Amino acid sequence: MAAPALLRLIYRNVRVNTDPASLVILLGLPAMYLVFFGFGFQSLATASGAGTNYLTFLAPGILAFQAVMAGTVAGSILWADRRFGMLAQLLVGPFTRLEYLLGIIVTSLLFGLGGALVMLAIAVGLLGVGTLTVMGLGVMLGTIALGSVLFGSLMLLLAALVKSNNAYNSVQILLIFFVNFASTVFYPLGSSLPLALRALFEVNPLTYVADVVRNGYQRQLSAQNGLEVGVLAVEMVVLLVLATRAYFRSDVSME
Amino acid sequence: MLSGSAGGGGRDAPIRCEQLVHTYDGRQRALDGVSFQVGRGEVFGLLGRNGAGKSTLIKAMTTLITPTGGSLRILGLDPAQDGRRIRERIGVVQQGESFDFTSVEGNLEIYGILWGVPHEERARRREALLERFGIADIRRRRSFDLSGGQKRRVQVAREFMHDMDILFLDEPTVGLDVLMRRALLDSVREEARRGLTVVFTTHNLEEADYLCDRVAVIDLGKILVCDSVAELKRLYAGKKTVEVSSDRDHAGRFFDALAERTGVGDRLTVRGAAATLLTDDPKVALATILEVAGRTGAALEWLNVRGNTLEDVFLRTVSNGGNGLGGSRPP
Repeated sequence: MAAPALLRLIYRNVRVNTDPASLVILLGLPAMYLVFFGFGFQSLATASGAGTNYLTFLAPGILAFQAVMAGTVAGSILWADRRFGMLAQLLVGPFTRLEYLLGIIVTSLLFGLGGALVMLAIAVGLLGVGTLTVMGLGVMLGTIALGSVLFGSLMLLLAALVKSNNAYNSVQILLIFFVNFASTVFYPLGSSLPLALRALFEVNPLTYVADVVRNGYQRQLSAQNGLEVGVLAVEMVVLLVLATRAYFRSDVSME
Repeated sequence: MLSGSAGGGGRDAPIRCEQLVHTYDGRQRALDGVSFQVGRGEVFGLLGRNGAGKSTLIKAMTTLITPTGGSLRILGLDPAQDGRRIRERIGVVQQGESFDFTSVEGNLEIYGILWGVPHEERARRREALLERFGIADIRRRRSFDLSGGQKRRVQVAREFMHDMDILFLDEPTVGLDVLMRRALLDSVREEARRGLTVVFTTHNLEEADYLCDRVAVIDLGKILVCDSVAELKRLYAGKKTVEVSSDRDHAGRFFDALAERTGVGDRLTVRGAAATLLTDDPKVALATILEVAGRTGAALEWLNVRGNTLEDVFLRTVSNGGNGLGGSRPP
């Protein structure tokens, strides 16, 4: 008996997006952030006499960053399928539009969690198990899953609305840069930040993901983190609704 | 609609289309009362200019759009209610490219998985199709690195990874060389003999002539003529087409004079410095052409007499909006 349609779509999405070139970007880039930024800025912290372990701070941030990378997978699948004709081809096959969308979202979730586990393995290899607990791990993975769907929805919205390849690539790169560097992935939200930049940090969902993952990693979870997860959940629902509407209204191909 | 039978297979026909209407944005009428049937094992050709309504009709039949009016039944099912059940039993080779970012054999394999073909059957079909469509030697090449003809072969081969009752082919031979085109058409014909219903759109009328049991000429969202190829050609029985072209300096005067001398039943169609004359008596027509050329000083650059093709049917049907097969002289 054949597997359900949704599973077949997920299998296809995973298989098509796990070629070596895609994996280098999806896993290699965050791993390089972790190693180069981690050791590079650690030397700066040591030289300034701050006495902090920057690698311990950065590692959970890189895990959180996997949610953004998972989001780019979701957007890229829809974009490529519209641009290269596979969306129209799949929709004249034994699938519904909703199944196709769910297939992408679940794929993005799998990439987010899979990537986070790879980064976690690298982090544990560099830092040891340290303060990590089973509960902390559960909270981290749950938050990364939430973030993966949230950023997946954001990228799906982009892929459904944009009509040119250049526009899609440019907006995606800008979004990744903004979301990545206007968050607490690489540095803490300190009082020395200019007010405008601080506001950007505050509205950036990746800040919330990074905070919860970091506190989960360092066994410092608090009620504040619960609130942050709640905000993330609301934002995820809003973006998912917007992305779904845009997707159902979009043309199936770019021709 | 001109003459002919819109029917093929009666009430059990896999495709039944009655007074189908579709408008885009509530204004642009892409389909305007289209009616026809396609029988089991029949190869049905859809001919028409760009923008005539062929693609909209294919989209409606493959459930990609819901027609705004009329009745459509595919395999006895209503596309608006039973889209998935229909899609499980059809195959579609679309006009544009559609590939996954993987190898040729990877594309076939993934397609088989998407259609739920069991592992062993999938491998058997993949190997057979790679051989049948002459793509075994490029099986490990990435689909996006292939030439246009190779891509087209992979796209058509891929569709045969799964079972189907109806196959929709939207200009499947674009980019194929003569040998591969003929091999593909023969493959389709063989599948039709085994009971597969085929809907085929093309701009190449020789292909339609070679492959199709019946053809419909569609223009401005209406079917102008729908009949067997043999029947359409019969309308030209006894007639021949004379092709003539003149030097540009004298073309206007020459064709004006020729139009005045054309006999009853003959039809002259002029395009620039060239014209075709549909005639019952080619000997008289040739004599007239030579006489008029001599009188007007026109230098004839081409003069040829031939039998009629489906292309003649198409051109005359479209240029006359389905009102008979007579020719017309463009303004």
